[in-house]
Amino acid sequence: MRKSNFWGLLFVSPFIIGIIVFFVFPVLFSGYISFTKWDMFNPPKFVGLKNWIDSVTNPVFWISFRNVFYFALIFVPLQTIFALIIAHMLNHKIRLKGFFRACYFLPNITPWVAGAIVWKFLYGYDFGLINHILRLLGLNGSYWYDSEKWWVAIGSLALMNVWKGMGQTMVILLAAMQNVPTEIVEAAKAEGAGRTTIFRKITVPMISPMVFLTMILSTISAFTAFDVFLTMFDVYSLPDRNSVVNLMVYREAFMYGKMGPASTLAWMLFIIILIITVIQRKFEKRWVHYEN
Amino acid sequence: MKTKYIKRYFYYIILAIGAFIMLIPFLWVFSNSLKTPENVLRIPPQYIPNPLTLENFKIVLKELSFMRYMANSFFVVIMNLIGTVFSSALIGFGFAMFDFKGKKLLFTLMLATLMMPSQVTMIPTYFIWSKAGFLDTYAPLIIPGFLGQATGIFLFHQNYKSMPNVLYESALIDGCNPLGILFRIYFPLSKPTVMTLVILTFIGAWNNTMGPLLYLQTREKYTLTMGLLTLNSSPIAGANMGVRMAGAVITMAPVILVFLFAQKYFVQGNISSGVKG
Repeated sequence: MRKSNFWGLLFVSPFIIGIIVFFVFPVLFSGYISFTKWDMFNPPKFVGLKNWIDSVTNPVFWISFRNVFYFALIFVPLQTIFALIIAHMLNHKIRLKGFFRACYFLPNITPWVAGAIVWKFLYGYDFGLINHILRLLGLNGSYWYDSEKWWVAIGSLALMNVWKGMGQTMVILLAAMQNVPTEIVEAAKAEGAGRTTIFRKITVPMISPMVFLTMILSTISAFTAFDVFLTMFDVYSLPDRNSVVNLMVYREAFMYGKMGPASTLAWMLFIIILIITVIQRKFEKRWVHYEN
Repeated sequence: MKTKYIKRYFYYIILAIGAFIMLIPFLWVFSNSLKTPENVLRIPPQYIPNPLTLENFKIVLKELSFMRYMANSFFVVIMNLIGTVFSSALIGFGFAMFDFKGKKLLFTLMLATLMMPSQVTMIPTYFIWSKAGFLDTYAPLIIPGFLGQATGIFLFHQNYKSMPNVLYESALIDGCNPLGILFRIYFPLSKPTVMTLVILTFIGAWNNTMGPLLYLQTREKYTLTMGLLTLNSSPIAGANMGVRMAGAVITMAPVILVFLFAQKYFVQGNISSGVKG
């Protein structure tokens, strides 16, 4: 490593510009805006804590948070469990490994807009494939993403999100499993440990930091999910029961021109994400194993 | 020994069923994009289109100007590729090779960009672009790429840090300046990193929906994702599910092809960026 302010700063100069213009300034400015009334055309007017108090006393705000929590509660555990199972199976000498991996990964790279068009069709009441299969099994069809029950609507979006995101988690966990040192596994085998024991007593503890990391990542992605709601719900006529924080931010800002409340909501979202990450870190010590 | 084989078969069956479920949406959209309007809405559903028709694709590409949107998407993607690869190599090299004032702070800020939900910065960023007079242009979708992007910087940083120091020293003795060293020696040696970043950027820029939604207003400037998002409001596609399916196929096909051709790099990039980022 060479000491050189000139060359170092020259090389990273685009980054310095970028981070100031598109990160530091926006973050500070948005913090300031959250204490003002602003429509983007007239100068912002300072209103103190009004936006923050208004947000907390707005029932839609609490509905939005309930929905996001519910969304994460379905999405994160399901995705982690499925990803673990598939990664574990692919971690054996399996033929067509590349093919399987590609299949599971494919939804991940598909644009949400395209995915949503298909899923709306699959979830359709009259002509949807899912209801058709349910009816073949003698069950009643149901409304899904367009259900009047919020927990069905948000739940069906959470399931789609598992379809979309599982591949990435699976690939990360598979890489972690392949990094488990073979000597340890061999030693355990020599001691007479069975496959299940090896999986439970060696693989799982060894990959637990990675499992933990993917869980944090998917929790954050659940809280910041935007495209899935934008494409599956109609933002312009969204019933309050299906509202989520991100859509609220977008609607307040770009439909009603209320930049103050929109910034407040965005900050609240960030604060909640921080709190959850901290809580998850506290629980981490109970089950995550780190090598020293 | 026997139970081992049974277990193996069990794995194959589960993996195959899972893979099939993951693929159903793709098979379904493809099948329906090739159906006539009457056959799309039919119970029981028609699994294999009969008769096959390319009418939906014709309508979407010509009448609904998806041809145009596709050209726009490619333009935005290519500009992003050039910008991101070039700037990330530059910045990553700077971080990997030199010690300079404020380096720690910059590195922390880079990690912070990954933590901050984009909703927080969305409004001020929009304000900047509108003040600069760049609304309804591609600038907001392209210029940030030229100023570096955390994942790319990270990938190059790791790559260049791991390369032997002798390489740098000997080039310096031969009279090459650091910029020359990067572009004549280091950059050509980092092909896997470049490939990984190309794939990640291609897919990210192609799939970007929020950016075009905020910044593009004129229809002729729409990218494919934006065209598809607004497809429902067009009378032709609103009435015909098959046309929407064809639109979805056109929008997803390029990323799927890129992914299948460069799977190796993509998966690698996802692991390193997902884990370290």
